[in-house]
Amino acid sequence: MATPYTIAVPDSKIDDLHKRLELATFPDELDGAGWDYGAPLADVKRLTAYWKSSFSWRDQETTLNQLPQFTRSIKVDNFPALDIHYIHQPSPSPDAIPLLFCHGWPGSYLEVVKMLPALRASNDGVSFHVVAPSHPNYGWSEGPKQRGFGLKQYAESCHRLMISLGYDQYVTQGGDWGFYITRAMGLLYPEACKASHINMIRASPPTLLKNPWQALKHTILPYSDREKKGMQRSKWFAEDGSGYRTLQATKPATIGFALNDSPVALLAWLWEKLHDWTDSYPWTDDEILTWVSIYWFSRAGPSASLRIYYEATHSGPGGVTRDRTQEWIGGVKLGLCYSPKELTVVPMTWGRTLGPVVFESVKPRGGHFAAHEQPEEIVKDLRAMFGNGGPCHAIVKPGAKL
Amino acid sequence: MAPPYTIAVPDSKIDELHKKLDVATFPDELDEADWDYGAPLADIKRLTAYWKSSFSWRDQEKTLNQLPQFTRSIKVDNFPALDIHYVHQPSPSPDAIPLLFCHGWPGSYLEVVKMLPALQQSHSGVSFHVVAPSHPNYGWSEGPKQRGFGLKQYAETCHKLMLSLGYDQYVTQGGDWGFYITRAIGLLYPEACKASHINMIRASPPTLLKNPWQAVKHKLLPYSAREKKGLERSEWFATEGSGYRTLQATKPATIGFALNDSPVALLAWLWEKLHDWTDAYPWTDDEILTWVSIYCFSRAGPSASLRIYYEATHSGPGGVTRDRTQEWIGGVKLGLCYSPRELTVVPMTWGRTLGPVVFESVKTRGGHFAAHEQPEEIVKDLRGMFGKGGPCHGIVKAGAKL
Repeated sequence: MATPYTIAVPDSKIDDLHKRLELATFPDELDGAGWDYGAPLADVKRLTAYWKSSFSWRDQETTLNQLPQFTRSIKVDNFPALDIHYIHQPSPSPDAIPLLFCHGWPGSYLEVVKMLPALRASNDGVSFHVVAPSHPNYGWSEGPKQRGFGLKQYAESCHRLMISLGYDQYVTQGGDWGFYITRAMGLLYPEACKASHINMIRASPPTLLKNPWQALKHTILPYSDREKKGMQRSKWFAEDGSGYRTLQATKPATIGFALNDSPVALLAWLWEKLHDWTDSYPWTDDEILTWVSIYWFSRAGPSASLRIYYEATHSGPGGVTRDRTQEWIGGVKLGLCYSPKELTVVPMTWGRTLGPVVFESVKPRGGHFAAHEQPEEIVKDLRAMFGNGGPCHAIVKPGAKL
Repeated sequence: MAPPYTIAVPDSKIDELHKKLDVATFPDELDEADWDYGAPLADIKRLTAYWKSSFSWRDQEKTLNQLPQFTRSIKVDNFPALDIHYVHQPSPSPDAIPLLFCHGWPGSYLEVVKMLPALQQSHSGVSFHVVAPSHPNYGWSEGPKQRGFGLKQYAETCHKLMLSLGYDQYVTQGGDWGFYITRAIGLLYPEACKASHINMIRASPPTLLKNPWQAVKHKLLPYSAREKKGLERSEWFATEGSGYRTLQATKPATIGFALNDSPVALLAWLWEKLHDWTDAYPWTDDEILTWVSIYCFSRAGPSASLRIYYEATHSGPGGVTRDRTQEWIGGVKLGLCYSPRELTVVPMTWGRTLGPVVFESVKTRGGHFAAHEQPEEIVKDLRGMFGKGGPCHGIVKAGAKL
């Protein structure tokens, strides 16, 4: 059922990558462009040179292969089965509860890694069996060949994975697409998904969606300094940082040709986000290139990773729309984590429109990749939420696994 | 002053292109994706193979070099001088008036070519001295290295080019960025730019810009069948076809890496537009690849061609905003051409908010690249507007050129 997985990118793919890096050419750049026009030329040149001459995928692969990872076949309704890759780290502690970690784009299952040691250990009367899949179309999972694989299917894929591991009830943590997918899970499987911790809070009164600037100006006045800064951040994201999103949600195949043929294209595409979406996180070149390489060498290819944007935007009847995930969902207890450099930072009153919010935390720093940027903070949140005296203590029945 | 220009792409650039085409790889595609997700895989594979093995840039170059083309140095305020390429075809007829043709993206000066023979001849008492530049950052013109080269500067470049050719008064034709640039010219130089023919009409009551869907639904009811279809087309462009625009207006450098490093990326990026923006126009592979090659081999590089989107969107004080060009401009007589497959097709009442509209034509077919798709129709419009009995006859002083 569950096959231990070894990442083994063929030599031919590594050679091919190097051939392309050898041929790489670069555009010019406007004087004083900084980060305003996108990824800076000096960064992309430096990272390309490092990728070509110093970065060792094989070394990274060896490290990645030390994680407890597996694959198993997961079939969702109306689609052929897919081979799904996941990390599974059970806890030996009797107070452990199942925790599903959902990554987003351009992240991966790697975002859970820094938290693994802490989550395994009992603290405040709780520990966690951690499950962190590569979503379909990402990392080492297969992707569907058929149209229409949307939020419903991503949620179903995660849910069936948890069920197949014997976790009839579980809790979740996620941001980016992890927000949308865990919200869809709470909507579709409230008997299983009992509580969700979210670090990207997408919530708003309907008028904000339709009239952002009026509503922003309108609401800026009564809010705290922190909330005002958050709205400026949200405004920046909507006005200056959303081109990739509009494009991926409408013409993923067109940009997909670029990300598939040119490693420099992929590097620039991702590095811009890794920089703009984090709070001065000190990325190392190895870290950046490992994240980019996971996309470059992914089983479904980098182009496929964009399809979720299209499918979630063109959701047909029976699907789960993004809008629905941003409205009240009653059955799932929510923990909301507010970080200042997240992409959308809403006032707390808006977050509370999502559902029964039982836990809120405000971080003084941190951005979009919360579990990766500040793992100790997310672990702290999870222990407070699910530990002794917390609002979700024993919300699912604990039990040790081997 | 105006040396004749010969396009002579170095062998090294052609070799580099071929090296990259040789290692081109392609993503997979969803079943039945067709054009919904962007450029289809089969098209890109076929065009790449043709580009690699059959297309002859040197043959195309020879043909292009038969056009009457020149370069001259044009300096706009606050920027260093740029070497500007342009086609200049004067008419020997005494009734000729100067006509500036403004291309857009992803077009080029080539869009004027099919009209050149007709425009040179006297007909209905008018003929035209045609000037068709490559805008800065396009084709065989240089591009600025400094930030802030926006609509004002593009307009100034065109205007100074006309003046340098001895054309103190002139008329214009254009769409896409040609719409915005000729509108800016009319705003800034009403003593010179006396009339403009426009084939992409961007006009609307302010509420459409802020509330497109409400306003569209609102307006659908009282309009003609043709106008309703036009609004549907406009809605398609806004909801499904604008990702490139949002991206290029915010992060042109990021996507610029892709367009510069991968010819397949550039091909897909442009071919999708050439297909979606035209009305079943029977593009030949040579035609497509010539258009793409002009970007690939352009003097400023393909990445630079995107900067106009950023600069026009981030226009500082003293600049000309896109919004301003979509409002009333009083001093320039307007001719509006409505084609069913243009990107924004507005009701005629909206078009009339742009300025003193003296000429309107409704085409039964045709799309965004009007002069290229239906040259005879645009020529007919120009003769209807500027010929004997037309609303702009004699608007600028006529005179033959050698």
